Amino acid sequence: MSTYGLQAGSVEIMSAGPITFGPAGILFLADNGAAKIFAVGVSDPGSGVGSDPFDLENVDTAVASFLGCEAPDLLIRDMAVDPTSHNVYLSVQRGRGEVGRAVLVRIDRRDGSISDIPLDDVAFSEMTIADAPAENDERLDTTLPIGPEGEEFQFGERTIRLLRRPVRTSTVTDMAYTDGFLLVAGLSNEEFSSKLRRVPFPFRQEIDDNSLEIFHVSHGKWETAAPIRTFVPYDGGRSILAGYTCTPVVHFPLEGLAPGTKTVGRTVAELGAANQPLDMITFAQNGEDHLLVANSAHGLIKIAQRDIDAQAALTEPKEPIGVPRELTDHHGVIGLANIGDDHVLALHVDGDGHHHLSSLTTSSL
Amino acid sequence: MQVRPRPAEDVVGYFPPMAGRTVPDGCDLCFLPRFAFLGGTVYEVSMDGVAAVILLRPDPPVRATTEVLSIYPSARDVPCNLLRVYIVFSEPMSEGYAAAHLQLLDESGQTLQGALLPNSYELWDGDHRRLTALLDPARIKRGLVPHQQAGYPIRLGQLVRLAVGEGFRDARGAPLRAGAERRYDVGADERRRVDPASWTLRAPRRDSFEPLEVIFDRPLDYALLTRCLRVRGPNGHHVDGAVELGPAERSWRLAPSEPWCAGRHELVIDDILEDVAGNSVRRVFDRDQTRSSDAVREKGPFMIGYLPR
Repeated sequence: MSTYGLQAGSVEIMSAGPITFGPAGILFLADNGAAKIFAVGVSDPGSGVGSDPFDLENVDTAVASFLGCEAPDLLIRDMAVDPTSHNVYLSVQRGRGEVGRAVLVRIDRRDGSISDIPLDDVAFSEMTIADAPAENDERLDTTLPIGPEGEEFQFGERTIRLLRRPVRTSTVTDMAYTDGFLLVAGLSNEEFSSKLRRVPFPFRQEIDDNSLEIFHVSHGKWETAAPIRTFVPYDGGRSILAGYTCTPVVHFPLEGLAPGTKTVGRTVAELGAANQPLDMITFAQNGEDHLLVANSAHGLIKIAQRDIDAQAALTEPKEPIGVPRELTDHHGVIGLANIGDDHVLALHVDGDGHHHLSSLTTSSL
Repeated sequence: MQVRPRPAEDVVGYFPPMAGRTVPDGCDLCFLPRFAFLGGTVYEVSMDGVAAVILLRPDPPVRATTEVLSIYPSARDVPCNLLRVYIVFSEPMSEGYAAAHLQLLDESGQTLQGALLPNSYELWDGDHRRLTALLDPARIKRGLVPHQQAGYPIRLGQLVRLAVGEGFRDARGAPLRAGAERRYDVGADERRRVDPASWTLRAPRRDSFEPLEVIFDRPLDYALLTRCLRVRGPNGHHVDGAVELGPAERSWRLAPSEPWCAGRHELVIDDILEDVAGNSVRRVFDRDQTRSSDAVREKGPFMIGYLPR
């Protein structure tokens, strides 16, 4: 772990956010409350790779039971699967408000047993999200309180109450590791920005502004900033496929792009009205790579890589709506992860709001 | 001895016991949970697999004292491509309630389905008092299928209400003292860059504490206004002072902490400053690439010079 700059210590997590695996069994965890990303050596106890499917009905009730709360008091934020052991990791918030606590949970795929990752003595490193307000920049953290809070200042004959607090935050919506870089997509709580950060790993002391500004053009005419909701590295990490908050699936290259570069994505598919992309993975079927998109309105959307590669940028808003795609019958999927080559693990919600884990055979998708 | 929170009635199966350890306490056994018991939760205790007792951890009584202090934009009129709203609470809030308790309603009280962007990660400020909610950008941006199919989240001529339900919980778990709402008349879309050259500056008198007043041509984004405007004095230093936003976020005032000195001052405007429709000093929210007036302004702050009178 020292190769990656991880050192033993105690990790304080304010809020559970997206998680993804990096090299050597290191799990990245975004803490949106603290505006930090942690790299944690989770010391997965599993060994060997099996190709057996793994299912766990009512995973929310099971995890909540282990954590001593009822399922409605558990928020499952994200899911990742250890690429070696295929154990399942969940980033969860247990309880809400003042009593809320962020917990990293491991589900052993062999027997479904649940444990939490102790974070009080663990190998880790951390980085601060670059857009957090600088401590010496008064503009960024001073505001006018409406109530009695804040501190009184005298300006000439006037007494003004000022409140200094972190108001501007950047919320990480998805992360992926590829080839020495952690890619981080996020959404600001103020300006409509669209940065994709490329954070070198191991983390360095200095914060590199190695981000790209992502834009999207619709109908060949209107260009907007395009915050990414979910994305997946593509083409060996030389590019990514991204789902925006405004629904299109877009391809854009990463290779050779200088920091600060403005990048315009190539729209390959529209997901339709009242629909949100929720998670994306790639998987192989009959020797051919495919993209699988979990979304809020339909079953899983499956798109072949050859169709993505052949798709010219969409210019018409109606028909065609992009690459040929297939809709599967798997509804309510909110998270996806690969379990080896043969299965895809789906975290899905049923009509009563209960969460389940189900393995989908890649050949059946 | 095992302890489990009681599962919902419609859920069946084996669920693991609560993490913790059992230690002898005299003749008794004491269960020490790894995660604290939660108020309002029913726990089932079993011994050797046999149900022994059911315990209710009482929910500590909390008075509903938290309220909504303000909702932005505070203007009565908003464009139909309104992008963002802010709700400011008097106390820190809990996450996970926005989807159910923040709604855009039409005049008859019907929810405008899909108007607000569902977001599994709620956008809070650092201490969870200010919530940012986005209207669905896919329906605002021209040329996208959702805009073509469903149109703007709010329509020209409509009267809409942004309503915060009292069931929204604060960080202590208490509901709000009362719900809150703000009514908006929806006007035409706003698709122009924010142009500080169109603002009016009312210069203060020299040697006075009079505020500098800047009047905008349209309402601007509440949150960005609090940090995107500064004044630089003739010596190159920033002028300290107290900032106030005017009604409807249409103006900004800076009262200096020291009297204004003579010489050229500059209002420095960060180019990320946006109006309520997401148009910034740099670029139109969804700029029309075929219109020269929509060209992207070069990166960097916008300056407006003035002399105290």
